[in-house]
Amino acid sequence: MSDPAIQRRSFLGKLAAAVLGLASLPAAWILGRSLVPNVHYEAPRRYKVGRPDVFPEGVSFLEERRLFVVRERNAFHAISAICTHLGCTVKYAPFRHKREMAVRGLSYTSRGEFVCPCHGSRFRDEGTNFTGPAPRPLVWYHMDVAPEDGQLRIDTGREVDRDFRLTV
Amino acid sequence: MASTSEQGMWRRLLWSWRPESGREARRAVVRNFLLHWFPTRVARRSLDYGYSFYLGTISFALFAILTVTGIVLMCYYVPSVERAYGTMKDIDTVVSFGWFLRRVHRIAAHMMVVSVLLHMVRVFLTGAYTSSTSSVARREVNWIAGVALLVLTLLLSFTGYLLPWDQLAYWATTVGTSIVASIPLVGPPVRYLLVGGSEIGQATLLRFYVLHIAALPLVLLGLAVWHVWRVRKDGGLSATEPALRQAAEAVAAGRAPAAALDDDETSLPSSPHLTTRVLIVVVATVAAASLLALAFPAPLEMRASPQAPPNPAKAPWYFLGLQELVSYSGFVGGAVIPLAVVLGLALIPLVDRERRGVGSWLVDGAGRAWAGCGAAYGLVVTCGILALGELAPMRSLFPGVESQLFFDVLNPASLLLALFVLLYWDVRASTGSTRYAALATFCAFAISFALLTYTGTALRGPNWELFWPWQAWPEHPTLF
Repeated sequence: MSDPAIQRRSFLGKLAAAVLGLASLPAAWILGRSLVPNVHYEAPRRYKVGRPDVFPEGVSFLEERRLFVVRERNAFHAISAICTHLGCTVKYAPFRHKREMAVRGLSYTSRGEFVCPCHGSRFRDEGTNFTGPAPRPLVWYHMDVAPEDGQLRIDTGREVDRDFRLTV
Repeated sequence: MASTSEQGMWRRLLWSWRPESGREARRAVVRNFLLHWFPTRVARRSLDYGYSFYLGTISFALFAILTVTGIVLMCYYVPSVERAYGTMKDIDTVVSFGWFLRRVHRIAAHMMVVSVLLHMVRVFLTGAYTSSTSSVARREVNWIAGVALLVLTLLLSFTGYLLPWDQLAYWATTVGTSIVASIPLVGPPVRYLLVGGSEIGQATLLRFYVLHIAALPLVLLGLAVWHVWRVRKDGGLSATEPALRQAAEAVAAGRAPAAALDDDETSLPSSPHLTTRVLIVVVATVAAASLLALAFPAPLEMRASPQAPPNPAKAPWYFLGLQELVSYSGFVGGAVIPLAVVLGLALIPLVDRERRGVGSWLVDGAGRAWAGCGAAYGLVVTCGILALGELAPMRSLFPGVESQLFFDVLNPASLLLALFVLLYWDVRASTGSTRYAALATFCAFAISFALLTYTGTALRGPNWELFWPWQAWPEHPTLF
């Protein structure tokens, strides 16, 4: 490669390839980024479910929200009905008699369990997975009281741990 | 075609002239637009129905059927959550022959998955992924393109699955996209991009529609055309050794590959020997798709309802083997094993560089024996892990363990993968041949895939419990 013309040509060739390569990066970024939606037209992640006194003692299933609202006297919490395995909707199967059992090293009274109809996962009524392929416990959502009208408000963007209780 | 010898419009458009000698037959292929991508002469062995089963041709014919029927269906279908289901009902009941076109489209999609899978099996078992004696051919690259085409075929089928917006569609997509999300790190963002948000809805339907009718078919068509072009450049099908060597030498000498195949003992003119066979295969494929469409109605269940999953909720059949493994561990079944399978398939020609027995089924007697051993091994270990999962679920074997990592490492699915790796190393160590090891492992994999798919499709009932074919499923409320 002693001929300067050939050297120049191969340099220019490489330069052109490098420029085109660099120029394709923003093009790829533009195309790729535009596929990530900035706005959703999905249901809001924070919503009201009604005043506390409409919920009976125990587990209530809100079908459209795929959510369980659990009431223990004046303490409330909300558990997602979306199975952590493949996203099916779990259902609540109450026991005929309440049982004493140990979960996470604590003993507590269990009144039923959640069952996933798709692949047979089962969860304690506080969300812990104990049978089947579900990899994680059911998700607990943050819950508070809307100051304007006293309704219970769920925030599905905010997960809380399984000791969360809202006392009303 | 007209039997008269005058130069009619039809002949001038498509046909150069009626060949009366070998030389004219060659020119007929080269000058004809529809035939110009065929070689002028084809090795006799490549023409055998029993060698290639024309599975690539069948796949192409099915793709053509899917394109034509799909275009008509697109004239009626509206990809909107509110209207999609209604337009499906219209296609089934109001549009003239709409029911038939939809059935043909659906059955051809299933047939294409099968024919592409079988095509891969044929190419593997005849060793056609190695470049044999030729130093010019790049069959390894074409094998990898073939694996990519298989993945594209599966994606096309899967994206079409959601479009009817009925219960089957909605929940198969829910399960399918959740399998994607079970891949660590990249899974959730990829699902988000695919779904166009966090819940399956209008954005998902539109994205799957665009992928299904535009993006994926274009990519698949481009890659498939390149795949066929590569076969031509590599000297035709990887058939008998002498003809192949001649062709490869011709390529190396800068001539057209078929120029060296002049001997009528080893090769025949493409026109009419290849053209009539291709025509027969295409017509037979169309006939088979039409007849199967008459026999199997395309199901349309209740409108999609996010509140009420059917029990059991299943992905499309070709993913049910995976779903079976996902029911042991989402991470291993949804991520590790699919990745291992796709990578394992793609890397076969790089791992096995032996040149023996190319173009003959299963190499030789020993190859057949190892393939049989592999198949038997696959059958036994797959039944074994299914029994293990059924009789002794990991969580009941280790009730005290809460760590998910523990169950992701130790479960029937990862055991199956480990047993396959063991098979490969064992056969390789005892024969010293990567070809025999690959043969045994591939046959084990094929049997295992078939068995897992059968289990997921036919034997899994409500709550994903095992029901034998003669056992009735219990009545289960679909709404609660």
